[in-house]
Amino acid sequence: MIQDDCESPVITNKSPHPALKNTSTKSKLTPFKTVVAFSSKNQAGIYRPNHEQCPPITMENSFTEALSHTNFSTLDWILVVLYLSISVLIGLFVKKYVRNMTTYLGAGRAIGTCLGIATMTGTEMGLITVMYSSQKGFTGGFAAFHIALAAAIVTFIVGATGFIVCRLRDLKVLTIPEFYERRFDRKTRILGGVMLAFGGILNMGLFLKVGSMFVVGITGMSQDSRALPAVMTVLLALVLVYTVMGGMISVIVTDYIQFVVLSFGILAATVVCLNQLGWENIVNTVQELKGEEGFNPLMEGSGFGWSYVAWMFFTAGLVSCAIWPTAVARALAMESTKAVKKQYMWSSLSFMIRFIIPYFWGICALVYFTTSAPDLQELFLPTDPNVEPVNNLYAMPIFLGRVLPVGLIGIITAAMIAAFMSTHDSYLLCWSSVITQDIIAPIRGKNFSTASRIKWTRILIVVIGLYILYWGLIYEGGDDIWDYMAVTGAIYFTGAFSLLIGGLYWKGASSTGAFLALLSGMTALLGLDPVQRLVGLKWVDPKTNEDVQYLSGDEVGLMTVAFTMVVFVAGSLLFPDKPKTQSTKPIEA
Amino acid sequence: MNMWKTLWTILFFGSITLFAGMAVWVTIGGFRDIKTLFQRLSEDQSVDEE
Repeated sequence: MIQDDCESPVITNKSPHPALKNTSTKSKLTPFKTVVAFSSKNQAGIYRPNHEQCPPITMENSFTEALSHTNFSTLDWILVVLYLSISVLIGLFVKKYVRNMTTYLGAGRAIGTCLGIATMTGTEMGLITVMYSSQKGFTGGFAAFHIALAAAIVTFIVGATGFIVCRLRDLKVLTIPEFYERRFDRKTRILGGVMLAFGGILNMGLFLKVGSMFVVGITGMSQDSRALPAVMTVLLALVLVYTVMGGMISVIVTDYIQFVVLSFGILAATVVCLNQLGWENIVNTVQELKGEEGFNPLMEGSGFGWSYVAWMFFTAGLVSCAIWPTAVARALAMESTKAVKKQYMWSSLSFMIRFIIPYFWGICALVYFTTSAPDLQELFLPTDPNVEPVNNLYAMPIFLGRVLPVGLIGIITAAMIAAFMSTHDSYLLCWSSVITQDIIAPIRGKNFSTASRIKWTRILIVVIGLYILYWGLIYEGGDDIWDYMAVTGAIYFTGAFSLLIGGLYWKGASSTGAFLALLSGMTALLGLDPVQRLVGLKWVDPKTNEDVQYLSGDEVGLMTVAFTMVVFVAGSLLFPDKPKTQSTKPIEA
Repeated sequence: MNMWKTLWTILFFGSITLFAGMAVWVTIGGFRDIKTLFQRLSEDQSVDEE
């Protein structure tokens, strides 16, 4: 379409802004009117061929221009630097308390209820959760709220009943694979440790990339500048310093500070969003754009559906609080099982908030773009179906950058960066301790002193940190973030689900059944897009040129869980354990 | 659809309100827990040194 003024665009094939080549966030969502789901394809630029005097208006320029409208100021940078400095000082201060693996990994099992809630929330309300959740809200509308509700209900039930977590706490293990050895045998522990570390470290691969997108979006920093990789490297270095030095103690104290800053920060930001846009306006705009699909997650076309909702009860609910090792690690560090139950029941509210507020911000971004920011609407929801939209992971940070006032935006950014760091410190500690305690230590046997274990854990923290830095700054893959995380996580938790429940609640569970169940968790890889295409579960329809999928990611996930359970039960019944000696008998309820 | 709208409205404002209250409680209680944590760690350290 050619217009007479310089403002109207036409499509070109100029090379796109690097941000537009970033990680895809494709998911099974209904398009907004004529807008198609985003992809990782390079986006074309735009120009005005009939008016050479007009400067070429490329998508990259439009995106850079949109980024520059942030309210982020020098004061906000000062707030961010101040906060980060405090975190590092804490790590250095608590180093003197680290004497053995129990204090390094378990903070001496002396965590009170309130601190337990704060640290659980601090760890689990990570920046990547906020980013992909806000994206879900942007694309799914209020229907996405069902995930938050599922997380809250299941976490509360786990807390009320003590399901899985209290029994683990009673056993006084430091890691989940340690439980595997106690209940089954050493080879199960080693395999469990390998699966856990493998899935977990892969799972972290895109954290830095997604974190950098938030920093770019809210600060207006150029994606092309050298400042961005330097910022990400500095952040990771800070995390490594205080995690290596202080272990779980510094993780918990920094999590507490992050909880305080983040809680009040996100509540204040939410109030600003409500004042800016108005609740009625938000609801009515979503209704106009999406109809009932924007509210009802069970509806065909909402992008969710019954199988997805069931999958969310399992993953966002049970796995997130009772099987994912970083959450379980908090339970193992609590002072008593009574404190564990209280922690989980109260944390159910935090688990809901960590989803529902980012969803709401994503919804607000959508409403803001369509009602108050035509430049952003054109970038994220272009009316021309031939123009690819910008990766909508940027939607929330750009929106917040525009509506939050100076000062509050600095506090939120500091809190989000803190959330980014607290996720990293917990995960780095978790995966490195799994490798030390559950792979190296069982192999080396008694010749592995406490000092060596701590030393190895620290070395591994640095090594894994370097891998994440390399992967996050160099990797340019086109994977869907949620699918990538779900699949890499499922490699571990599909097998772990059977082993934990079977091992804790079924006397007939055997080590052979456990070993086979862990291996069968690898079938979760069938949920990954390239694997699906390879084995014929997904293909392009030659008539419509659109993807046809035989099984969705959530369906693969549910089937993998069922498959590992069947394998576990069958393996245990067919290959029962030999009668055990007193030292290796499973702990009775 | 009205049922869903009502559900999400109640859920959103209810959870925000409860979370605000919990945030205050956890902030105060968590500070006390940190003091207790360091006291216990210091006591354990003293015992080890003896």
